[in-house]
Amino acid sequence: MGVGPLSRVTAQVVTQGDVAITHEDVDRAHDRVRVSAARAQRGVFSGFRLLWLLVGPGILVMLGENDGPSMLSYAATGARFGIGFFIPFVVLTFCMAVVVQEMTMRLGSATHRGHAELIFDRFGPFWGWFSMIDLGIGNFLTLITEFIAIRAGLGFFGVPAWAAVVSALVFLFLAVITHRYWTWERTLLAIAVFNLVFVPVALLTYPNWHSVGRALITWQPLPGGLSKDTLIIVLADIGATVTPWMLFFQQSATVDKGLTRKDIHLGRIDTVVGAALAAIAAVATMLATAPLFAHHMTAENFQAAEFAQALQPLIGRFGAVLFALGIVEAGMVALVTISSSAAYAFGEVARRPHSLNLPMAEGKAFYSVLFLCAAAAGAIVLIPGLPLVYVVLLVNVVAVLAMPPALVFLFMLANDREVMGDLVSPRWANVLATSVVVFLTLAGVLFGISVIAPNIFAFLGGT
Amino acid sequence: MPSKDKGHSAITSSDQELVLSSLEPEQLAGLKKHLIPRRHLRGLEKFVVWSLRIYLVFMMAVVLYQVWTSLH
Repeated sequence: MGVGPLSRVTAQVVTQGDVAITHEDVDRAHDRVRVSAARAQRGVFSGFRLLWLLVGPGILVMLGENDGPSMLSYAATGARFGIGFFIPFVVLTFCMAVVVQEMTMRLGSATHRGHAELIFDRFGPFWGWFSMIDLGIGNFLTLITEFIAIRAGLGFFGVPAWAAVVSALVFLFLAVITHRYWTWERTLLAIAVFNLVFVPVALLTYPNWHSVGRALITWQPLPGGLSKDTLIIVLADIGATVTPWMLFFQQSATVDKGLTRKDIHLGRIDTVVGAALAAIAAVATMLATAPLFAHHMTAENFQAAEFAQALQPLIGRFGAVLFALGIVEAGMVALVTISSSAAYAFGEVARRPHSLNLPMAEGKAFYSVLFLCAAAAGAIVLIPGLPLVYVVLLVNVVAVLAMPPALVFLFMLANDREVMGDLVSPRWANVLATSVVVFLTLAGVLFGISVIAPNIFAFLGGT
Repeated sequence: MPSKDKGHSAITSSDQELVLSSLEPEQLAGLKKHLIPRRHLRGLEKFVVWSLRIYLVFMMAVVLYQVWTSLH
């Protein structure tokens, strides 16, 4: 039974028998029985089985964040600026993501509450609604970009825009149709691993490994120096790895999966493995499009299909097809995770049932939010003449700007002894988290300066 | 008290035992309606939270300005 500081209150209610057991509880209990059985056994195989049972939210959130706009940002980065500065930079941003996401996993495991729920309960509705507005706007804009990616990727195969949007919505429906968190998670994990398709695409460009190694070790300067354009790419790449929806998603998924304090160590491994896989895919995408930079091709206005078409003479039809499929997969997986994050947050705030274990009849509100958000975003993408790549980069920039306020609440909750008990963040984690907040805020301020006073960078030696 | 969900297969007493023996009390869906006690922001916390809120509103205005200049 519970060992957290909140257990005293809840244990009392259970003893009094004043609680209704739901199907959601029964499904989660079955999952926990398997975890307990694996934990009770000794040996390497049991250890791996336990890890297999507990991984999920961390890998999903990281590969989910390698979404359509992120992959397009990485593609634009490789094509316009090469790899010298950005490979180590992207690795750094994934390290930041680990620092941040570990806190959400710890919070979810310790409190069994979602992020939105905790902010509302602990800090009141005033700050809760601010966080929800940030999340709602961010999620909706990001969902639009997922449809942009899906539309553009399928466009490579000649699929019309409306058919691409409908396919994505059908995919979303199929992903949640089992009404079982475990099945949803495993299916999505299997599809999310396809994000690594960018690795063979990168290999087809025959990268110069000496240059890649040198880039990682020496961290070369930003090509062209600081300017408005380079800052947008820098911010878009940061927004490709750390965004507010990730905080809400991983904490809610951790709770829905049923992780407890005993699982935190393996939850950390889940998060780190997810970040490593996502970093590999991100770097591979930059390597894949770097030849466009080397061949001095103008990639400023490329969309996903155009990246694939431009790469075709260099990597062949097969490589171009893989690239386009990778963009589609990135959009599809993120469509599911971001819609789920919106539905979880809605349920937590509205005090309605919120779980992927819910049968449709019990979770009408939850599933309605999940589908309606996605359908509305899909409809917007069908508007003709939308500047797609610009929207994509801008959404990542907005995500970075919205992160510092979201991180401060996460930071306060992770250090709240009343809800976390002895699982409050250690000093080193606080130093790292504070550095991330300062770094993101400064990046946003630099972007603001570049927009308001663009000439200042020329004065400082940029372009 | 433990109950069955209307419109679905009944939750049996063995289900109840399974749930109560394998889930922590806070994990029960029915108990999530109980609020976690509220805490109030202290001076420095209030300052940081408000500063970042103002920062976000200002930066959103900058983004809108950037979009407006790009479109014109």
